[in-house]
This record gives sequence, structure tokens and C-alpha cells, in this order.
Amino acid sequence: MVNLPNTPADIVPFIISIITSHTFITLVIFPGMIHLMIVSAFLTWYERKLLARIQLRIGPLYAGGIGGILQPVADGVKLIFKEVIVPYKADRTLFTWIPLVLIFLGTLPFAVIPFGAHWVIANLDVGLVFVFATTSLFPSMIIIFAWASNSKYPFIGGLRSLFQQVAYEIPMWISALSVVILAGSVNLVDIVKAQSKIWFIVPAFLSFIVFFICIMAELERLPFDLPEAEPELVAGWYTEASGAIFMALFLALYLKLYMMSALTTVLFLGGWWGPGFLPQPVWTILKAMVVATAIIIPRGIYPRIRVDMLIRIGWTRLLLIALANVFITVLVVNSGLLTAWGL
Amino acid sequence: MALNPWVVIVIWALLILLLTGPLLTLPYLMTFPKRKEDPFRDMPFESGQVPQGEARHRLAMQYYPYVLMFVVFDVVGMFLFAWGISFRAISASASFVVLLFLILLGAPLGFALRLALRRENW
Amino acid sequence: MEVSLAVPPDAVFIVLTVITLLAAILALQAKELIYGAIALGVSFIGIAGFFILLDAPYLAMLQIAIYVGAVVVLILFTIMLVRRDVGEEVVERGERGESAAGLWIAGLLAVAIAGVAALAGPNLASSPPPGVLSVSDLGPVLVTEYPVPLIILALLLSAALLGALMLAKVER
Repeated sequence: MVNLPNTPADIVPFIISIITSHTFITLVIFPGMIHLMIVSAFLTWYERKLLARIQLRIGPLYAGGIGGILQPVADGVKLIFKEVIVPYKADRTLFTWIPLVLIFLGTLPFAVIPFGAHWVIANLDVGLVFVFATTSLFPSMIIIFAWASNSKYPFIGGLRSLFQQVAYEIPMWISALSVVILAGSVNLVDIVKAQSKIWFIVPAFLSFIVFFICIMAELERLPFDLPEAEPELVAGWYTEASGAIFMALFLALYLKLYMMSALTTVLFLGGWWGPGFLPQPVWTILKAMVVATAIIIPRGIYPRIRVDMLIRIGWTRLLLIALANVFITVLVVNSGLLTAWGL
Repeated sequence: MALNPWVVIVIWALLILLLTGPLLTLPYLMTFPKRKEDPFRDMPFESGQVPQGEARHRLAMQYYPYVLMFVVFDVVGMFLFAWGISFRAISASASFVVLLFLILLGAPLGFALRLALRRENW
Repeated sequence: MEVSLAVPPDAVFIVLTVITLLAAILALQAKELIYGAIALGVSFIGIAGFFILLDAPYLAMLQIAIYVGAVVVLILFTIMLVRRDVGEEVVERGERGESAAGLWIAGLLAVAIAGVAALAGPNLASSPPPGVLSVSDLGPVLVTEYPVPLIILALLLSAALLGALMLAKVER
């Protein structure tokens, strides 16, 4: 318990005790706000450089000297000063505030994702379900924003995005169910601790594949790019977003990318476990970056999936494979094959 | 300080709002005062052509099965999570109820999928 | 619950109550149906907050994922099925008799609940019962003690799904 300051002379030690407390450090610095903002900005630069190299270009080069590393800052400053055009007869209130809600939803799950054995902001007993509950709010926010834009391209793009995310959310949950069965808990810290001998990608390999595909569909990344199909829909559901609103949406999308990568790492790739020469949080971030790279690279390689194929794959193939893997996991757990790995 | 994790989450939520709120509201406030709705500047973007017709057109009823399946499988997924947490702690035969649960829902799922995928909705 | 910030749990309860009730009233009174759906979502989140206060975090997450995640989407979809022009008022303003009747019924309910609470007297618990049901206890209880409700739930969901699909099939 903390000693509240009684006299004015107590205030400075009180503030110091708060600033150096573990809660404050996790909240604000790591894995809190500062780390999140830096990494998401870094991810925008990283994506552009990576795609550029795949497409035999150079990418950002000039901003900030070496390799355009300050390009995200330049983008942010530019977007803040751009004019925000609200479409004619659009819903101004919703148009302005929904991006803020999207940032909120993208950042909130980081409170439960562990970056190290003690580097978690809030160790919830229902951590994984908390993450899934917040990500399930995305489709409704997107369709409301698309509706609020009062324009045809966003509306069609928003509908497609809604049905796509809705179709791929259930296989995502079912494939995470395999991990929950193996670990025996939805507490993300416990799930990582259960992977001390072997990462869950090995027993639940099919689930990993399904989960990875569903993440790419949730993030609306190629090849599931249909809500943002540039030749067809200009920019999909955020066509009418400009200036600060677009910046907020952009930030929300990259936060979501980082969040999904970190979630994959925690669920399947062993979280913070790794050889001891690097501290635990560094392992988590490294693995999350590997996952993020694997999510970004298909954008430069694959063509877009057609919408009926997309819906069909989500509802039939992926759901059935995920369910089948739950059965397989049940059988494997029952047969006692996993005791060698301490599971 | 040992805080209840939910309290920390509330603090985290407030922190997010505190830091990202000004990000969005300040530019909006900067442009807010002198703007009237101008039909030509605010015209929805359609690559240059003037938009015609209703933007928020009526949805088709054929898309209904998908949303409904999502609702049903949302509930099913949550119950499966509750079962999955304790799967290794209970005997194997107790889990047959869940198998029955899934099989009972399999028939309507098949019917819903057939209905949804048969016609050319997309 | 170790709270080192000086916020009594009752304050949280009052704030949640106000938010939930205001959102629910807004959901009924909003002129734009989309605002009503959003307000409904906010009231559902408020109810999830109540579940958290009652030491049922899994139920709270279930509430958010199912109600706000899926049911609100369904409601939004249904709203968008209705074709209307922008700015057209869907809700018709009734006569003053409506709000008077609503207040009357709310008053009767308040009197009834207060009467029951007064009759229960000292037996009325002011806090949730001790003994926390952790999340890992939920599964075994669900499967071993309530298998019949689980099967009934499966049948209910099947019936709802089939019924709604039948209705959707008829209307082309």
C-alpha cells in the first residue's frame, strides 16, 4: 500500500515512488504507451521499406537521414495539418470520434499481453478472452464509420470488411481454443509459462496456420485486401477519411497489426522463452517482428482473393480445420503424448 | 502497489484516451470554426464523377445468414472456451457432452452454410 | 480487492449505473437509429462492468464479445435493411401520455423493489457472497453439473438459427 502524502514535503518522494513503481513503468514505458507508439510508428516505416525491397524499390529515404527512419514522424506531422473534409451530409460526430474508438480498441488489449515474466500491465485471469472481446468490437465500429461517411465506396467497403472480419473471427477463436486446451488456462502469462519446454506451434501446428490466416483476414491485409481494394474501391471504408482522422485510423491499423503479432507470439511461439543471452522482452519483440514480417510480406506477393471465395474459405474450410484440430488436440492430450514436454 | 488488474486496465484506458484524445480533437478544433457545409468541396469521392443516388443503399436480405451464424458461433465459442480451460482437469468422458453440443449444432450450421453459399450472394 | 487509490467501490457502482441507464434511455429515445444502436452497445458494456464488479470477469468478457460484438452488429444490419433517406425521422413523437405512463410504471417498480428489500431486512447481502469462482472452476461445473442445460442451449441455438433462416428464406 502506498503512503499518501501528508505534508507538502512528502509530495516529491511520493511522486518518485509512483514513477519508479512497477505498475507505472509497465503502464507508461514498457510495455506501455511509449513503447507502443514507438513500435507502431516503426512498423509503418518497416512495412514500407520491406515492401519496397520486395518490389525492387528503395522506399522512404530522405526523412531523418539514414534510410528515412523519421518518415513516420513526417507523415504524422503532415497529416495533422491536412484539412479534414467531412463528406456532404455525413454524420459529423461519428465520423470524428470513431477513429478514436478504434485506436482505443487497438491499444486496450496490450494491457494483458505479457512481454516478459513480469512485464505485463495487468495480469488478468481472463486475458485471452479479454483480447478476443475487444477485437470483436472492430467490425461494428468499421461498419458505423462506413455508414457515417455517406458515400458509396466506403459503404460497400465497410460491408465487405464487416462480413470478412466476422467470417474469420470464429476460426480464430476456435484455433486459439487448441492453445487453451493445451495450456489449461486463458491467462496469457500462464499460457506462455506452459510453453517453457516446447512452443505450442508444434503440438497445434494446424491451429497455428488457421490462426495466422485469420489474423491476416482480421487485419485486412493482402491477400484479404478486398475491403480496401484499390482498383475497385479507392480505399474502402476509409475513403473519406482525411487529415487527422486518417492518421488516427492509420495508427489504429498498425497498432492492431502489432497487437495481433504479439498475440501470435504469446499463443504459439513461446512468448518470452529463449536462450538467456537476451532479456525476455527482447525475445518477445523479436518474435513479434518475425510474425509481423510474415504478415507484411504477402502484401507484396499475392493477388487478392475474390469475395465469394473469401467468405467461403472462412466459413467452411478454416472453421472445419480449426474444429478438427481441436479434436486432434483433445486426442493428443488424452493419449499422454505431451508429458514428455511437460504439458 | 498491488492493484487489482481491472483497476490497472481502467487506468490504462484513461491513459489511452488522455494521450490520443488531443491527437484527434486538436486538428478538428483547428478547422471547426469557419466551416460551412459546401456541397462541392464535401462531395463524396467517386474519382471525379458526381455521385448519384442513395449512398446508404438498402442491404440485401441474403446476407442475413452470415451475421446470424456469427452470433450463434460467438456464443458457442465462448462456451467452448469455458470447457477448454478445464479440459485437462476433468475426466475425458465428461467432455462428451461438449461433443454432443457440437454435433447438435452441426446440422443447422450445415443448413445455414448451404443456404448462404448456394445462391450467388457475392 | 486491494485498491490503493482512494476510490470506494460504491463510487464505481454509481458511475456504472448512471452510464448504463443513460445509454439505455438514449437507445430508446435517439432519433437516428444508429445512435440508438451505439447507445445500446454502451449500455451492454456498462452491464459487463457490473459483472466485473460482481467478480465474474469471464461473464463480463462473454457479455462484451457476444452482445456488443455480435448482437449489436445484428441490430446494425437490421437497421440498414430499412431504407430511409438521411435525416428522416423514424421515431414518431407520441403524445404526452406515453411518458406519463412510463414514469408511473417506473414508480410502481421502484416501490415494489423497495418493499421487497425492506421485507428481506437484514438478510439482504450488501456485497457479493464470499468464495470467488475462478475461471478454471467454470468449465468443470458447466460440464459436470449442467450438461442438460448445455444440450438445451444447443437445441435453442439450433432452433433460433433454423427459424431465422426460414424467415430469411421466404423473403426474397
